[in-house]
Amino acid sequence: MNGAIGGDLLLNCTDMSVLERQRAHLKYFNPSFDSPLAGFFADSSMINGGEMDGFLATAGLNLPMIYGETTVEVDPRMSIPLETTLGTGNFKKRKFDTVTKDCNEKKKMMNREEVTEGEEEEKSKITELNNGSPKSIKKMKIKAKKEENNCSNDSSKVTKELEKTDYIHVRARRGQATDSHSIAERVRREKISERMKFLQDLVPGCDKITGKAGMLDEIINYVQSLQRQIEFLSMKLAVVNPRPDFDMDDIFAKEVVSTPMTVVPSPEMVHSGYSHEMVNSGYSNEMVNSGYVHFNPMQQVETSSDPLSCFNNGQAPSMWDSHVQNLYGSLGV
Amino acid sequence: MASADKLINTDVPEKDVFAFHFLQSLSNLRKQNPFDTPDQKNYRVRKIKKAAYVSMARAAGGSSRLWSRALLRRADKDDNKIVRFSRRKRKVTWKISSKRRRSNQRAPVVEEAAERLRNLVPGGGGMETSKLMEETAHYIKCLSMQVKVMQCLVDGLSPK
Repeated sequence: MNGAIGGDLLLNCTDMSVLERQRAHLKYFNPSFDSPLAGFFADSSMINGGEMDGFLATAGLNLPMIYGETTVEVDPRMSIPLETTLGTGNFKKRKFDTVTKDCNEKKKMMNREEVTEGEEEEKSKITELNNGSPKSIKKMKIKAKKEENNCSNDSSKVTKELEKTDYIHVRARRGQATDSHSIAERVRREKISERMKFLQDLVPGCDKITGKAGMLDEIINYVQSLQRQIEFLSMKLAVVNPRPDFDMDDIFAKEVVSTPMTVVPSPEMVHSGYSHEMVNSGYSNEMVNSGYVHFNPMQQVETSSDPLSCFNNGQAPSMWDSHVQNLYGSLGV
Repeated sequence: MASADKLINTDVPEKDVFAFHFLQSLSNLRKQNPFDTPDQKNYRVRKIKKAAYVSMARAAGGSSRLWSRALLRRADKDDNKIVRFSRRKRKVTWKISSKRRRSNQRAPVVEEAAERLRNLVPGGGGMETSKLMEETAHYIKCLSMQVKVMQCLVDGLSPK
């Protein structure tokens, strides 16, 4: 079986991932399993390019330089023995149809066990052989770097940095399609999941929801609700009618208490007569002006002010939604 | 949380910037219709809503964000200014569809949600999904800021 594997490896690189998987499968269960290629691959972990070059030459691939480059990065991880790591990775890979889960799980694996870093490097090294296109190999390098850095538990931060700074080198992962397009896909999916995590922090109440679909639904609902809020508030602003005996000091006190706004110089400030006593006089002018914008004939106000008045009696913004619904109903929109 | 993530820059200005822009736009409205009370409430509501969005887009950084640019262009278009925007949109969606042809592993769940999101976020039609999510994050922050400002304004102006 060993010989067959070896022969197959030399003859047909595309099948290598499957064969390697099988081999590693055996190795996982039987760490003492010995194959002529075990030494080869173990050496490859320590390699500085020489032996692999030979292999690559025989395999008809021409990747000496890039490979040499990448080994530098992965050196510290290379002492981890192959058999312990490859098996787990392969099992992971076999299960996955959707790569999204793959990425997430991979990351989890990485964070849980240090051993898996070596695994990624090993996988990436071996699958590099399958890659003919320079683009994919370049991309592969960043994966190597990425996984290397994942162990420091600073995963998201550093990997993002790397992706930003050096997009050229990425490694194909072992057992996965090494098509350059799939690699691009994988990178893209990881970007998306990064951003999903960021959005999760942003949207309130998304901590409990796991899974992309639910998260995205939450996000969509949140955006819709914010847009609706703006619409309702603009309806309110159109309807609100400040009293003719408009007390600016009062408005300011309310405004300042509810929101700590800073002074923003406004052109009207210069021309107004209000500026002296008010701290936020810029706002005062604006407020008065905007008050005039919302002026409404009395008959219109009467019908709509009743639901508003209950809202305006100093109630907390948290009660806003129920009142908005009342308002919404009363306006008949 | 946002500061820890240095790659995706979603800083929004402080609330006062939003407030300033919004109030400025409202005063412009007043200048256009001084003491004018249009018969239909809807007209005023629409004007104020549009002013809210436009001022939000300006406060959030004018042309530095895709969604704000798209919003401002849409606003300009509504005012009968001809805007050549469709060309770029077509070009980018071509890119998306070609990628789809090659690898059918675009998680369909994500993609259909992304479609819905694209309808919500201005300018979303011409964006890749990852870029879309960045823009959504910034858009959400700006929207919530704008809502706070308008809420305070309503509270301040409403009769006691």
